[in-house]
Amino acid sequence: MKLATWGSRTGAALLFALGVAMSASAQAPAKADATKAAPPAAAAAPAPAAEAAKAPPALAPNSTANIGWNKPPEWSKVETLPQYASVPGRETNVLVEDHGHKWRELRNGPVTSYGGYLLLIVPVLLILFYFIKGPFKLHGAPTGKLIERFNSLERMTHWTVAISFLVLAVSGIFILFGKYFLLPVIGASAFSALTVFGKTLHNFVGPLFMFSLVAMFFIYVKDNFMGGSDFAWLARMGGILSGKEMPSGRFNGGEKAWFWLGTVVLGTVVCVSGLILLFPNWNTGRELMASANIWHAVGAVLFMALSLGHIYMGLATEGAYKGMREGYVDETWAQEHHSEWYADVKSGKAAGDKDKGMAAQPAAGDD
Amino acid sequence: MARMKFICDAERCIECNGCVTACKSEHEVPWGVNRRRLVTVNDGLPGERSISVACMHCTDAPCMAVCPVDCFYKTEEGVVLHDKDLCIGCGYCFYACPFGAPQFPQAGAFGLRGKMDKCTFCAGGPEANNTEVEFKKYGRNRLAEGKLPACAEMCSTKALLAGDGNVIATIYKQRVATRKKGPEVWGWKMAYKEDGNIAAAEVKS
Repeated sequence: MKLATWGSRTGAALLFALGVAMSASAQAPAKADATKAAPPAAAAAPAPAAEAAKAPPALAPNSTANIGWNKPPEWSKVETLPQYASVPGRETNVLVEDHGHKWRELRNGPVTSYGGYLLLIVPVLLILFYFIKGPFKLHGAPTGKLIERFNSLERMTHWTVAISFLVLAVSGIFILFGKYFLLPVIGASAFSALTVFGKTLHNFVGPLFMFSLVAMFFIYVKDNFMGGSDFAWLARMGGILSGKEMPSGRFNGGEKAWFWLGTVVLGTVVCVSGLILLFPNWNTGRELMASANIWHAVGAVLFMALSLGHIYMGLATEGAYKGMREGYVDETWAQEHHSEWYADVKSGKAAGDKDKGMAAQPAAGDD
Repeated sequence: MARMKFICDAERCIECNGCVTACKSEHEVPWGVNRRRLVTVNDGLPGERSISVACMHCTDAPCMAVCPVDCFYKTEEGVVLHDKDLCIGCGYCFYACPFGAPQFPQAGAFGLRGKMDKCTFCAGGPEANNTEVEFKKYGRNRLAEGKLPACAEMCSTKALLAGDGNVIATIYKQRVATRKKGPEVWGWKMAYKEDGNIAAAEVKS
C-alpha cells in the first residue's frame, strides 16, 4: 500500500520534470542549435518566408510542376501523362486516357456504319448479279473423266479455314452489329447469352483460324504467284461480263488476288490485331488494344466482303464447289475454266491424277 | 431529381487513400479491382496534388455507347450502372472510359476477363434494393438507404464531394471564392461538358 503511493508520487514527479524539460527545449531550439552546431547547420535554420519565395527549387528535367512553392499543375497538360498511383495495376497512374474517345468515335461511327453498309450492299449486288447472269454453267458436255484438283491436305486446310472463318464472321458480326439488328428482336438476356457464347467461340476458334491460315499460305502459295497474264485476267475481270472466259493456270487472277489480299494481307491484319486483343493477361495498354480493335474490325469487314465474292464464285460456278469438296473436277471443267492448268496436267507438268476414270473415288473394299 | 456527381477538390486531397479503402470495405470489392484510386500529380515536387478517381457517371457515357450488349443503364439520378448478368466481358468499356473506371476481376488468356466491375455511386445494380444478390454483385446500395457514397462520407478533409451536382458545385464555388485558388473542377469538362469549369467565374469577380 505504502509502496504503491510512493510509486505513483514519484512517477508524477518524474513526468512533471520531463514536461518542464521538454517545454524548455521547445522554447529555445535556435539558441541550442547555434551554440552546439557548426555554422552550416545554422544556415539551414528556417529562412524568412519572403526569401524562400524568391528562390523556389529548380525543376527536374521533364517536370510538369509549376514553378513556385505550391502552385497546382495545369490540369489539361498533365492529366493524360502517367503520374504516381499507389493502387497497383496497368495505367492506374493515368488520370485521363483520351484515346478511348477517338476509338469510340471511330468504332461507333464509320466502322459500324460503312462496315454495315458494305456487308449489306455486297450480298445485294451479288444476288442481283445472279439474277442477271445466272450460274456459270459448263458450255460443253462433261467427259466423265476426272482430274484431281485439290488433294486431301489442300481440302482439309481450305475447309478448316473456311468453317472457322464463318464461325468468326458470324460471332464478330454479333459483337459489332448485333445490338442494332438482333438485340431489339430477341431481347437483352437472350442476346447477351448468345454473344457470350459467340465471344468464347470467337476467342478459341480464332487461334485455329490463325494456324490453318498459315498452313494454307504455305500449301497454296506455289500456285499463286502472279504473272503478267493474271493482271490481264484481273483487268478484264476474267471475262465474266463478256461471257468469254480468259485462260488461266491452276488459279486465275481473281483467285490469286483473293489469296494475296485475303489470306495474306487481311489475314495478317486480322490475326495480329486479334492476338493483341486475345491476351489481356499480357497487360497491354488501352491505346494499343483500342487501335488493334479498329484494325481488327476494319480488316474483318473487308475480309468478309471479299469472302462473299469468293463464296459466290464457288457456288455459282458449276462444279467448283464439288471440286473443293471432293477434290476432283471434270476435264471439261478444267478445260473451260483453267485451260493452261489443264494443258499442264495433260502434258504431265502439273500434278493432277488424270488416270481417274468414271469411278473417281474407289469404294471401300474395292481392289 | 438530383443529378449525382463527384468532385475531388485537389487543393484539399491529402492522398490518404481513405476513399479507396472505404470503397473496398463497404462493397467487398473483388480482389484486384479498385473502384476508386488515387493519382498523385508531380509526386514529391513542389505543387504536388492528388486526385481521387472513380467512375464519373458521365452524361454521355462512353462505356454505355460502346457496350455490344447494352448492359449499361442510367438511373434517374444520372448514375451509370450496369447489369453483370448481361456483361460479356469484352473489355470495350475499359478501352472507351477516359477515367479507367471499368475493371475486370480476371485477365486471362483467350480474352477471359470475367464480369466488369466499376463504381456504382453506391447505388447497387438492377436487382431489388439491398438484397443479398445485389450486394454480392455490386456492393451496398447506400443511395437506397438514403446515404451518400461511402468514399465521400469517409473523406477526412472533405476533398471528395459526392451528391447532387448543384449542391456540391455550390460548396466548391464557395471554397474557391474563399481561398481564391483552385478554380478548375477536375474531370467535369470531360464527364459533363456543359458545366466543366463551374467555379472559374466566381474567382474572377
